[in-house]
Amino acid sequence: MRRIPKPEPMSLLAGALAALVGASLLAGSLPRPWTAGLSLALGLALALGGHSHGAAACIDRLAHTSRWAGLNAGLKTTGCCVLLMLTLCCRTPWPPLGLFVYTALLCMAGGVGVRRYLGLLALPAAFLLLSAAALLWHWAPAPGGLASVPFLGGWLVLDAAGQATARLVVARALGALGCLYWLSLSTPLPEVLEVLRRVHVPGPVLDLAVLIYRYIFVMLDTAARMRVSAASRLGYEGAGCGLRTTGLVYANLLGRSFGRARVCQQAMESRGWEGDIRFLVRKKPVRAAHLIPFAAPAAVMLLALCLGG
Amino acid sequence: MTRQEKRFMALSLAAAGVLIVPQYAHAMHIMEGYLPPVFCIAWGAVCLPFLAAGVIRLKKAAKQQMLLLAMAGAFIFVVSSLKIPSVFGSCSHMTGTGLAAILFGPASATVLGLVVLVFQALLLAHGGLTTLGANTFSMAVAGPLAAWGIYKLCRRLRAGRKVSIFLAAALGDLLTYCVTSLQLALAYPAAEGGVLGSAVQFLGVFAPTQLPLAIIEGILTVLVIMGLESCAAPELRRIGFLEEVRHD
Repeated sequence: MRRIPKPEPMSLLAGALAALVGASLLAGSLPRPWTAGLSLALGLALALGGHSHGAAACIDRLAHTSRWAGLNAGLKTTGCCVLLMLTLCCRTPWPPLGLFVYTALLCMAGGVGVRRYLGLLALPAAFLLLSAAALLWHWAPAPGGLASVPFLGGWLVLDAAGQATARLVVARALGALGCLYWLSLSTPLPEVLEVLRRVHVPGPVLDLAVLIYRYIFVMLDTAARMRVSAASRLGYEGAGCGLRTTGLVYANLLGRSFGRARVCQQAMESRGWEGDIRFLVRKKPVRAAHLIPFAAPAAVMLLALCLGG
Repeated sequence: MTRQEKRFMALSLAAAGVLIVPQYAHAMHIMEGYLPPVFCIAWGAVCLPFLAAGVIRLKKAAKQQMLLLAMAGAFIFVVSSLKIPSVFGSCSHMTGTGLAAILFGPASATVLGLVVLVFQALLLAHGGLTTLGANTFSMAVAGPLAAWGIYKLCRRLRAGRKVSIFLAAALGDLLTYCVTSLQLALAYPAAEGGVLGSAVQFLGVFAPTQLPLAIIEGILTVLVIMGLESCAAPELRRIGFLEEVRHD
C-alpha cells in the first residue's frame, strides 16, 4: 500500500506563496472566482507535492530508461538548445507556455510519470516564486495600480507593467525548463559529454566531468550510509549537534574519497593510463523521422516569432 | 474584517511567506530561461578568460591532482544535493565552491565549478544551460576568487586559521548572493529606481535564505578542513595546502 506523504510545514508555506504569486499574476485579467480558484489549486498542488530529494539518481535512472534514449544524442542536444534560444527570444507568454506543455507531454510519452514530473518541477519553484514576487510587487510612496499593501511607510504596489514583465518571465522560464527537462530526462549524461567532446570542449575539462560523473553515485551512497549511522547514534539531535555531525560526515566523506582517489589512480596507472579517459560509444544513427519532434515545434515557434509573438 | 485589518492580514501573510519559505531554497542558481538572450551571452563571455586560465592550469597540473580534483567536484555536487538536517528547522544546502578555492586555488575552482554547474543543471534541475554563463560568473568565478583572496589576506594578517577559513567561505558565499542579485537586477531593472532599486528588491527577497546559509557554509567549511587535516593529511600535502600551514 502506498503511504500518502504528510505535507511538511515548509511545503505548506510554499503553497501559500504560490497561491499569492498566482493571484498577483492573474489579477485583473480573469473573473475573480477563476483567479481565486486557479491560484488556490496551484498552492495546493505545491503544498501536497512538495519537493523531492535524491533527484540526481532519479533523473539519471529516468534518462537511461527513457523511450527517447535510442535517439541520437547530438540531435537531442542541438534540438533542445535551438528550442531554448527560440524560447528566450519570445516577446509574448503564449509560445513558451505551449512549448512547456509540448515538452511535458513528450517526457511523459518517454515514460516519466505525471506525479514524478510535477515533483521535479517543484525543485526550481522557490526561485521562480520569490523572484516573480520581486518582479510583481514594487515599493512606491503612494498606493495605485491593481492592488496595494501598506509597507514601511509607503506602499507595495502591484501594477499592470510589473504583471506583464512577470508573466513573460515566468512563461519563458517554464518553456525553457520544459526543454531542459526533456533533454535531461531523455539523454544519459555520458552521451551529452560525448557530444561536447565532438564540439572540441577542452580535454581536461571533459576528463574531469567523466570522473565526477563516475564518483557522484558512489559518494551519494556512502553519504547516505554515513548519515544513517550518525542518526542511529543520535548525531542529529538539536541544531548545534546536527551541524557538528554534518561537518564531521562531510569531512569524512571527502577524506575517504581522497583515499579512494589514490587507490583508483594506482589501479589506472598500472593499466597504462596516460591522462585521458575514453569510452566506447554506441552509434545511434539519425533518421528523418527523428527530426520531426524537434523541427515541428521549432517551426511553430519561428512562425510565432515572425507574427510578433 | 475592516479594510485596515484585511491589509494587515495580507501583509503578515506575505511577510511570513517571504521570511520562512525561502529557507528551503537552494544556493542561488538563476533558473533556466530566466535571463534575456543578451545577458546569457554577455555573462558567458565575461567568464571565458577565467575558464581559459583554469584550463591552462589543469593542463599543467599533475595527473594525480586530476583525480583529487574530480573527487572534490563530486563532493561539491553531492553536498549541494543533500540537505543539512535540523538547522533552524529548514532545509539548506552547502555550496562548497569556497572550500574548493581554499584547497585548490581559484583557477582550478573555476573549471570545477563550471563542470559541477552543468551537472547540477542536468541532474538536479538547479540552474540551467542558458543561465550557465551568469551562474558560472557568480558561483565559480566571483565567489571562489573572493574566498581565496580573503583567506590569503587573513593569513597574511596573521589571523587564526579557523577564523580565516570561516571568513573566506562565509564572505565568498555572501558575495555570490550579491552578484546574483545584481545580475537579476541588471536584466530586470525596476520601473522606478532602475537597476539599483531592483537590486535592493532582489537582495531583500533572497536575504532571509542566504544570510543564515553563509554562516552555515562558513562553519561547515571550517569543520570539513579540520576533519580533512586529521584524516587526509597526505593528500592535503600533495595539493600543497598543508605545506603552507607548516610554515607558520
